[in-house]
This record gives sequence, structure tokens and C-alpha cells, in this order.
Amino acid sequence: MRGLRDLWEGGLVLGAFLALPLALVALALMVVVTALQVGQLTAMDAVAEAGLTLTLRTLEGPDGAPVPYVQVAQVARDSPAARAGLARGDVLLAVAGRRVGRPLEAWRAVEAAPGGREIHLPLVWLPPLERALGTLRVERGGSEPALVLVAPAPAAQAQGLRPGDVLRKAAGIPVTSPRQAWETVLLLARQGEAPLELEVLRAGETAHLAFDPCGRAELLVVRDAWRAWVRFLTRVGDPRYPEQAGLLPALVGSLGVVAVMAAVAFPLGLAAAVYLEEFARPGRFRTLLDILLASLAGLPSAVVGLLGLEVFARGLLLGRSILAGGFTLAVLILPIVAIAGREALRTVPRSLREAALSVGATPGQTVFHQVLPAALPGLLTGMVLALSRAVGEAAPLLLLGAFLYVNYVPQSLRDSFTVVPIQIFDWATRPQDGYATVTACAIVFLLGLTLALNGLAIFLRARFQRRWAE
Amino acid sequence: MTIYWGTVENPVLSARAFSAWYGKAQALRDVHLDIPERAVTAIIGPSGCGKTTLIRAMNRMNDTVPGFRAQGEILFRGVNIYAPRVDPVAVRRRIGMVFQKPNPFPKSIFENVAFGLRVNGFRGNIRERVEWALRRAALWEEVEGDLHRKSGDELSGGQQQRLCIARALAVDPEVLLMDEPCSALDPVATMKIEDLIRDLVSSVTIVIVTHNMQQAARVSDHIAFLLLGELVEFGPTREVFTRPRDPRTEAYITGRFG
Repeated sequence: MRGLRDLWEGGLVLGAFLALPLALVALALMVVVTALQVGQLTAMDAVAEAGLTLTLRTLEGPDGAPVPYVQVAQVARDSPAARAGLARGDVLLAVAGRRVGRPLEAWRAVEAAPGGREIHLPLVWLPPLERALGTLRVERGGSEPALVLVAPAPAAQAQGLRPGDVLRKAAGIPVTSPRQAWETVLLLARQGEAPLELEVLRAGETAHLAFDPCGRAELLVVRDAWRAWVRFLTRVGDPRYPEQAGLLPALVGSLGVVAVMAAVAFPLGLAAAVYLEEFARPGRFRTLLDILLASLAGLPSAVVGLLGLEVFARGLLLGRSILAGGFTLAVLILPIVAIAGREALRTVPRSLREAALSVGATPGQTVFHQVLPAALPGLLTGMVLALSRAVGEAAPLLLLGAFLYVNYVPQSLRDSFTVVPIQIFDWATRPQDGYATVTACAIVFLLGLTLALNGLAIFLRARFQRRWAE
Repeated sequence: MTIYWGTVENPVLSARAFSAWYGKAQALRDVHLDIPERAVTAIIGPSGCGKTTLIRAMNRMNDTVPGFRAQGEILFRGVNIYAPRVDPVAVRRRIGMVFQKPNPFPKSIFENVAFGLRVNGFRGNIRERVEWALRRAALWEEVEGDLHRKSGDELSGGQQQRLCIARALAVDPEVLLMDEPCSALDPVATMKIEDLIRDLVSSVTIVIVTHNMQQAARVSDHIAFLLLGELVEFGPTREVFTRPRDPRTEAYITGRFG
């Protein structure tokens, strides 16, 4: 028996000694990882602000393996990118002298490019077939199908291609269809073999000419970390592209849900604490309430979510609204507030209550005029910590059916919503390049918010806590 | 046993066959005691004899202690304060109390004294009344300039205890119960409180619990000696000290136990 207790106590001591270093290591790891990711947010924002939205595409290489490439998904009107001649469908080949195969590599290149806030970024890209070469048509008149350039693009015409030219080979590789021709050109251009040699049949004669299909320009991009963060936190965002992701709907959702939670859980939790500590007489009823409160505090958050779904969303017909979310969180937070409140009330010495009672104050006056003001710092600390817990809570809201993503800012308490932790969860599960960065930034923001709230709690405790001479 | 009661004319407070328990432990056994008006009655006895229980029973302060149970009567001007219809709040408004350890509110000196007035719905000039109470407690000169600036717990221990006395006096109680008011104070502060007790007794009835025989001799007019929850002896202070009727009283005051 004694051995067992020693083991238990030893474990506690060991745990205490391990917990701090482990927490520090975890924190340091988190800081390092996020610091690596956060720099990319600036680069993503710089590219997006220059007007470019990038997406990852693949084609089948000569050996059958998929070859990734970066395609321009959107070019903003009147943006620097549009003025530089980039258009939707262009394939980005090189950024600042680095060849890029994925959007991630493009952003890394922007991040690593030398220079300060504003840089002129040299870009190389391959326009789509229509603009690189022109309109091609397969004609099956002769012994074998012929790829005829019906209408060469201006760039192609400038390099000597003429209408009616029949394309035979590109850098020695036979071309048979418009699509295959363009993919061949893309594969060659990716390897930097430009200008490439085209073999064309013109008026029955074979001709070789050097052809450079690529567009080149210097793009002015502005790398501004502050702007990147502000944009990230204040826009609604486009779910398709990580460089346009925005945290605003989730922020507003979190704010609404937590406000509803606070409006419900704080008064009820405080009332429960005051009743149990100051008014309830010892007996079966109080014991029962104690047990109920402790059980509520120990409820797994998933169970609370189910409760919210059945009672608030379905039973009270609130749906997946901010109101239902706030009520659900209130169930989770109420026991925390009540227990913290009871602790705070317990720190107020008996002698203060007796002092008030002895001059003829009623129990109610004693509590409201003397005990509650004296316990206020502890009560505030408890409430702020409960807020910080609520802000980070995702599981009950997921079960309630909060959306992973909403593309609008909730306008009323009856609107559906998402919250920051759920948004993080959503982004974290997306495979596309850039979402890791967005996820990291949202985590950093949430972490900062939680740290700030906890810091506030520590400040309140240090500033207002009084030491009762015993 | 000898019962010394019925000797006091017009007692303010009387215990009649009063017994008290904390859970199953009996703290007072069948106490009969009369408290004379406009006099200082000291309750003495060794630790654990029930002094504090008795004095806290006199304004129903024990109601707040879990497990407390009482039997018998405490009469205040002929009315049993433990009768079912009596509101303990009303009792405490007329029977004030000062505790062992100074327990000022963590608020300004002014608010400490004014609190009792506010909760009692006092309609007069609160400022004047606060000054009046502080003067009665011989604290006015020391705190006059700091009424709103200083918090009650920034005062010295002796000043704090006098502030607590002023707080109790502000609502003009008929009886002031003092539970070892000097046990936490130094000799100089103790002397000031003792002087104050003698000054106050012309206007308010005082019951004081004390551990200190010399203090009882200095401040009290009557002495009640409690032992193991029973009242052993009650009488004028001089008589109890010079000619105790019970051998146990003599043993206690001569220092053979206690």
C-alpha cells in the first residue's frame, strides 16, 4: 500500500518536473514552425496584391509520371499583373530566376527574392496555345494527319510563322494534335530550352525556325507583412484560393458565439456560485447541486455538442445559428465560471461577512455590498479564463453542425456561422499549396488572442488581488 | 450548583437555561445569566469554555456557523431573540459586535463607518453621523484628513479595532459585544481600547470576552466565569476577585489552571 502511494507521489513529482520543459519545448516548436510559415503569408499576399492567383495543375510527362505546373487562375483587372501582359491560363515557369513547378515554389521565390519592400520580380510564363502559337487544326487530307496553323498568334507571326504552316516537330519531337503540341512546348519550356526549334512544312518545303513561346516581364510586387495580416484578418475570402483566404467570417462568428455564451453563462454561473457558497444550507439539496455542477464540468465537449444539437438547434428550432452555438458553449463554460466563482468567493474571509452581518446587514446586503466586491478580482479572472477557453473550443460546435466555411459575414444571431478553431480545422485539412501557411497564421492569431486573454487574467489577478491577513 | 441570577435589576440581556451545540459537541450547558445595563460585563474562563459561543449567541452571530444549534432563551429586553418570528438582522441592528481580529471592510474609512447606516436605511446626515461615531471611538482626530483617502486596512491594528468599534457604534446599538477585542493588539493599543470601553459604558451596555484577568479587573463592573460550558460564578468584579464563592473560580483567578 505504502509502495503504491510512493509510486503515485513520485509520478506526480516527475510529472511536475516534466510538464514545464515539455510545455516550453512545445511552445518553442510552435513558434519556430509558425515563424517559418508566417513569412510566406507576406509573399502570398504580395503576389495576390499584384493581381495573380495561382493554382496547381498537372500533365502527364513523357515517362507517364505527372508533371506539376503553376497556372494563373485569375488576373485581377487593372492590376500590375494585367498590365505586365499576364492573363488567365498562363503557365508560370520562372519567378525571380527560379523555375517553379508548384504555387508554393512561386511564393517561396517571392519570399526569397532579394530586395526590400517593393521588388521588380522577373517572371517567365507560357501563354495558352491560342496566344502562344495561334489556332491549330488537324487536317486529314494526306497520308497522315497534318497539324495546320490556321491563324498564328501575333507573337508567333512576329517570329516568322505564317498562316497555313504545317507543324511537324518541336525540338525534334513530332507533334500530332493541338493539345499534344502545347504540352510538348510546355514540357520543353519548363526545362528552359527556349527558344526551341520548330520544324514546319511551308509550301511543300521543310523549314526550321527558332521559336520562343514564352512571355517575359518584370512584375512590381509589394511585400508588406502588416498589410498581409490586415487583409487576412479582415476579408471574407475565396474558398478556392489560399492567397485570398480571409478569417473575417470566422472572427465575427467567434465573437458572436462567445458574446452569446458570456451573456448566458456568466450571470448564471455567478448566480450558481453565489447561491452555493453564500445562501445554500448544507444538506442533501446542496450536495445534489454540488454533484450536478461537478458532473457538468466533467462532461466531454462532444456530449455538450450533441446536447446543443438536440436541445438548442432542433428542440428550440434555433438551427445552426450563432444563438444555438452560444447556448451550447454556455453549457460547457457555465460550470467553469461557477467553480471559479466559488473559489473566488471562498477566498473572502468569514470575518468580512461577519463584519457586515454584525452591523445589521441582511445576508443579501452582505453578499452584494461586501463579499462580491471583495471577490471581484477572482471573479473577473475566472471569467476571462472562461472566455479564452470558449474562444478555442471547436468540438461542441462541430457536433452542433457549425459550417466549416462560410463565405459571408454573419449579420444576425440567427445566421449560420463558423468559428476560428473550426476554420483552422477546415484549412488544415485542405491539400492545396498555401493552406498550411494560412492555417499556421490563423493558429498564431488564435494563440495570440488566447495568450492576451490569459495575460489579462494574470494582470487582473496581480493588480487587484488583495491578501487577507489571516 | 449555585445559580447567581435574578440579582440584576432590569437586565438588558439574559440567558435562560441556554444550551448550545456545534454538531454533537455541546458548547454551553444550561446557562443562566443577566447582563446589567450601562455596565461592562466581562466573560472569563479558560480556552474552550464557551465564552465566545455565549457572546456570539447574544446577537445570533452563531447562526452563520454550520451545525450550530441552541436551546433555551436569550432575552433582549424581555423578548427571546431565538423565538421563531424574530429576525436576526433586526437583533444585530440593536446589538453590535466587535471581533477578536480587527476586520475592517476593504473600503475607505468613511465607507466602513457609513455601511451600517446605509444598510439600515439611515435618513439623517451620514457625514455627521460618521464623525459622531468616529469621535465616540476616539479615532476622529487620527483619521480626520484621510476619511476618503485611506482604506480601512491601511490603519494600524489598534486604529483598525477602533474603526470597527466606530462602525458598530454608528448605528447606535444598545449593547456592544466585544469578543477579545485586544487579543491581536500591542499594550499601548490595548490601553486605548480599555480607556475607550470605560468612556463608552455611560451610553452603551458592554459585554466583553477576555482571556486576560488583569483586563477583566481593569475594565469590568461584573464578571461571569465560565468553565466547560457552564456558568460557575457571576457577580460584581471586586467580589469575584476578592471573595469568590466557588473554589473553581478561585483556582482559576489565582492562576492554578487556565
